[in-house]
Amino acid sequence: MPEVIVQNLPFLLQGLWTTIDLSLWSTLGGTALGILLATIRFVRVPVLGTLCMLFIEFIRGTPLLVVLLITYFALPALFGYKTTAYSAALLGFVLFIGAYLAEDFRAGLRSVRPSLIQAGLATGLNRWQVLRFIIAPQAVRSVIPPVFNQYIRLIKFTSVASIIGVTDLTGAALLVNARQFYPITILTTIALTYFVLCYVLSLIGRALYAHYAVKM
Amino acid sequence: MLTNYRFNWAPIWDARDLIASGLAMTIAVSLVSLAISIVIGLVVGSAGASGSRPARALAAVFVDIMRNIPLLIHMYVWYMALAFLRLPAFTCAVLGLSLYSGAYVAEVVRAGIGAVRRGQMQAALAAGLTRFKAMRLVVYPQALRMIAPSLASLFSQLIKDSSLASVIAVSELTYEAGAIDGQTFRTFEVYITISILYLILVTAASQLVMLVPGARNEASSARFADA
Repeated sequence: MPEVIVQNLPFLLQGLWTTIDLSLWSTLGGTALGILLATIRFVRVPVLGTLCMLFIEFIRGTPLLVVLLITYFALPALFGYKTTAYSAALLGFVLFIGAYLAEDFRAGLRSVRPSLIQAGLATGLNRWQVLRFIIAPQAVRSVIPPVFNQYIRLIKFTSVASIIGVTDLTGAALLVNARQFYPITILTTIALTYFVLCYVLSLIGRALYAHYAVKM
Repeated sequence: MLTNYRFNWAPIWDARDLIASGLAMTIAVSLVSLAISIVIGLVVGSAGASGSRPARALAAVFVDIMRNIPLLIHMYVWYMALAFLRLPAFTCAVLGLSLYSGAYVAEVVRAGIGAVRRGQMQAALAAGLTRFKAMRLVVYPQALRMIAPSLASLFSQLIKDSSLASVIAVSELTYEAGAIDGQTFRTFEVYITISILYLILVTAASQLVMLVPGARNEASSARFADA
């Protein structure tokens, strides 16, 4: 391993941990938000459904960097609270990935054939039970590939947090580079690290899909 | 609960020239990257769908490497690691964005070619077309119709991703927004303004792609997936 990496290994590992930590919490938060938004839109709650749609379209039309700038600079200015780079990034990622996941979940919910829903209602289940026992189990399987794609995107996107000053893997690497200036070595190393992270996650996604896929 | 933040949109209007030039730069970066990523996607995607095993393996390696590295790192690699090439920031941004998006386009193209029924190619060859002509006249047009929705979302993704060019000092929309924010402190107004501009760009781009003759809308492509 090159000397500059060995010297700064603890610092870089700390950055890597921040990246993983940020990805993990954003994944959890984003998934929860996505399920909530998708369900509200799927069961067509009046007014709230439209608001969710507007929120989703707004986020999906805005670059992640701008979302982070909004959560870091604009929202605190508007509502008058103090925030840290880490919590602003976390909030931004949850909102951002939640909006994308919501559309994937909704597509999954809609992929369940209407006749199954009708059959469920006909056997006397109420709407909530149909959602819980008939639609959700089938939808979960069909959304595994798109959802894992979003998770992988999220890991890559966490690098953007370095721009608002989070010392994640990219942020740590840039600091090390600013101090010692070995751009080729340092950037190659973190590119490789991201590659391994994302690739492993995509393998997990493929394995899960193969395991849970609906066999026709 | 809105506190005592006073909205003041006048400074944004006064900075309209900066915003317009940022918007023009965003469109320029996106269009050039779009063109290059289509070329990359077409070449790599066709290789990925071809009969030759080495070509398929090479395409898969290219796609996996490009897609699994964050775009920001792509940009820094061209701008900082390969600084000895002395490429202008604009070129670095375009290269990073095209290679990254090109890999995504390649996967979509590969899927599109795979979705054209085998008989089409066989019939074209039997009718006496060369392999190249069969691809150009028979396979690609059909594939394009099927992948238009995916391409539309990739292209809108590309426009949004171009905002990362601001970190390597390309004076596009996000970069100008930061500059205006620094001068006027109208943080909320400026970022909302550029969000809306991005939203308009993205919507326009995806609508334009769907103008491809015979492009399938969401409903019919879902039906296609069922078949």
